[in-house]
Amino acid sequence: MTKDLRECRIEDLPGPKSKQELDEMKMPYEEYCKAAFAPGHEMGKPESLKGIRWMSTTMYIFTPHSVANLAELGAEVIKVEMPRMGDPMKHTSPFNEAYLYPLHDTRPVTGTGYGFMNANPNEYYISMDYHLPEMKEAFYRLVKMSDGLTECYRPGTFDRWKQSYRYVQELNPRFIYVWGGGFGYGPKCFGGSYDILGQAHAGLASVTGMHESMGGHCTKHSNWCIDWYSGTQITFGILAAMHWRAKTGLGTMIEFSQVQAATRCLGHTVPMYGRFGIVRQRWGNWDTQLCVHGIILCGKSDFPDSINPQDKFDARYAMVSAFQDADFKALCGIIKKPDLYSSYKKHKERVGAEAQVDIYAQLEDWAKDKSRSEVVRILQNEGLLCEPVMNDREVYENEHYRQRGTVRWMEDPLFGDVLVQGTYSAGMLSKTPRRLYWIWRPVGADNVKIYHEMLGYPISKVQEWYDKAWI
Amino acid sequence: MCDIIWCKKDVEGKPCDTVNYLDPYCFWNWKGTINCANCGTVYAIHMIQGHMYKGPDEQPAGTKPDTSPLYADKPLEGYINFPSGMEGRTRPFQCLPRHIYLGVPDMVKFSIRGRPLRGWRPQPKSAGIAGQFPFNWEMKKLSPEVWAEYQEKIAKGEVKDW
Repeated sequence: MTKDLRECRIEDLPGPKSKQELDEMKMPYEEYCKAAFAPGHEMGKPESLKGIRWMSTTMYIFTPHSVANLAELGAEVIKVEMPRMGDPMKHTSPFNEAYLYPLHDTRPVTGTGYGFMNANPNEYYISMDYHLPEMKEAFYRLVKMSDGLTECYRPGTFDRWKQSYRYVQELNPRFIYVWGGGFGYGPKCFGGSYDILGQAHAGLASVTGMHESMGGHCTKHSNWCIDWYSGTQITFGILAAMHWRAKTGLGTMIEFSQVQAATRCLGHTVPMYGRFGIVRQRWGNWDTQLCVHGIILCGKSDFPDSINPQDKFDARYAMVSAFQDADFKALCGIIKKPDLYSSYKKHKERVGAEAQVDIYAQLEDWAKDKSRSEVVRILQNEGLLCEPVMNDREVYENEHYRQRGTVRWMEDPLFGDVLVQGTYSAGMLSKTPRRLYWIWRPVGADNVKIYHEMLGYPISKVQEWYDKAWI
Repeated sequence: MCDIIWCKKDVEGKPCDTVNYLDPYCFWNWKGTINCANCGTVYAIHMIQGHMYKGPDEQPAGTKPDTSPLYADKPLEGYINFPSGMEGRTRPFQCLPRHIYLGVPDMVKFSIRGRPLRGWRPQPKSAGIAGQFPFNWEMKKLSPEVWAEYQEKIAKGEVKDW
């Protein structure tokens, strides 16, 4: 501000202060976003969680993913694995086919499977048999130097090993401790969990898939969506706990039940039961609240000559949405079924179960001699919302995703050229974007870095532990 | 077990009544001859994806079996059994599926856009101590043959951005 308040400097006025700022303000929004997010230029920007150190004593996908989110945002994560074995998830791969080597010096013919992908990127990999009394000191020293820990053992296991929240908060009162597992305390306390169990036990699988009268069955998602989803929910808990700690200086314990988390995505299901006693049923690719708003089967594949079965047989589905009265009228005009519109003029009439069966059957009847892309083109040209149901290859070849960096190639320091999507599909931050340094590391690859360089144990000690398979 | 062969061959006026178990490690997709663990009768079978596609067809006496069952028992006689590894009756348990199921990985040297990959086997020992691995794999220095092939691909224009 100027000393004399009657004077007005250009810097104090609202609006651009320089030629560059003026240019930026005049930039079209699209260009502004491209410049602000600049996919592929993340490495030159700061990391929001830099300075946070997290211990990950986790396995499989659910709890590791809670920490992967931190690691991609810049936290220093130390993944602690079983000596010479590693995370059991390392030994899984789609149809047991895709493995990357090495895993460990002592296991030359064992690799890490692609099932491990995206759950533990950017982390430092150490090994430790931490239930041994001899390794307790190293474990506690890590606790003292870290901000928090995520673990996934049966409830009470870490307590028995004297490393639960009750013990570690004595060492480090600022420590944030996460237990993530199947059921949490309660009558089923000791039940373990997997994604499929979460989907089943939470009631999610019971409302997924088509109704049995239409040939459907209870369905789980092909991928482990509840593992990924629950892990992300834990990350929110961690960030909230860190904010609380910034205010109070105190740590927290987070107890996270996977089956409980999966009930959240059921929307109106539970309240509706509470009000009317209605038990929700499956409605598959259609929608219980909106019609038309579903996925339809078209008659012809877009790639009938492809050798890939997913292209050849499955490129036949399209998502159509036309639930507003005007859109539905247009849709009935396109499929030349004006009677359909007269029968269900109001959305209230369309959304009923019998009406939906009739409407979708007539839509599919219209689409039976058309390919998926024809259906999409016809409906889009009429201004209706319609998109093909794409497969992996189409996602990879999609220009929209390429421009935004959603799928991209990266050079992993150990494993070479890798096509990745995990990090970059989790949202873009203009100032502190997520980034991927490496997909994973072999078991114990950073033992020397952590035990010797960070904790200060002599190399001879590290070697001794290694020879005894304690690390 | 993918299936069994319940041998009913008449032995000394009595049916043999031995159940020969066909384990999936060996017999999943398999065609050949197998002996009964008790009476030694040889059967020809053809299994596809764990299902008995053809057989079991009894072979003439004196036919040499390709293999033996892993385990067999006689459930009607108080479960007399023939455990693994009885010479001439059952075969020993090798803890491994047949060689074609051992999963020797494909050596994929280049990604679908033609750039070099890593992570194949066999791997050299780690360069450091205590399982430490060098942070960056220098293709040119450590895999010179792949590097040379990569240079050829570049020259031919087979290396793309996408």
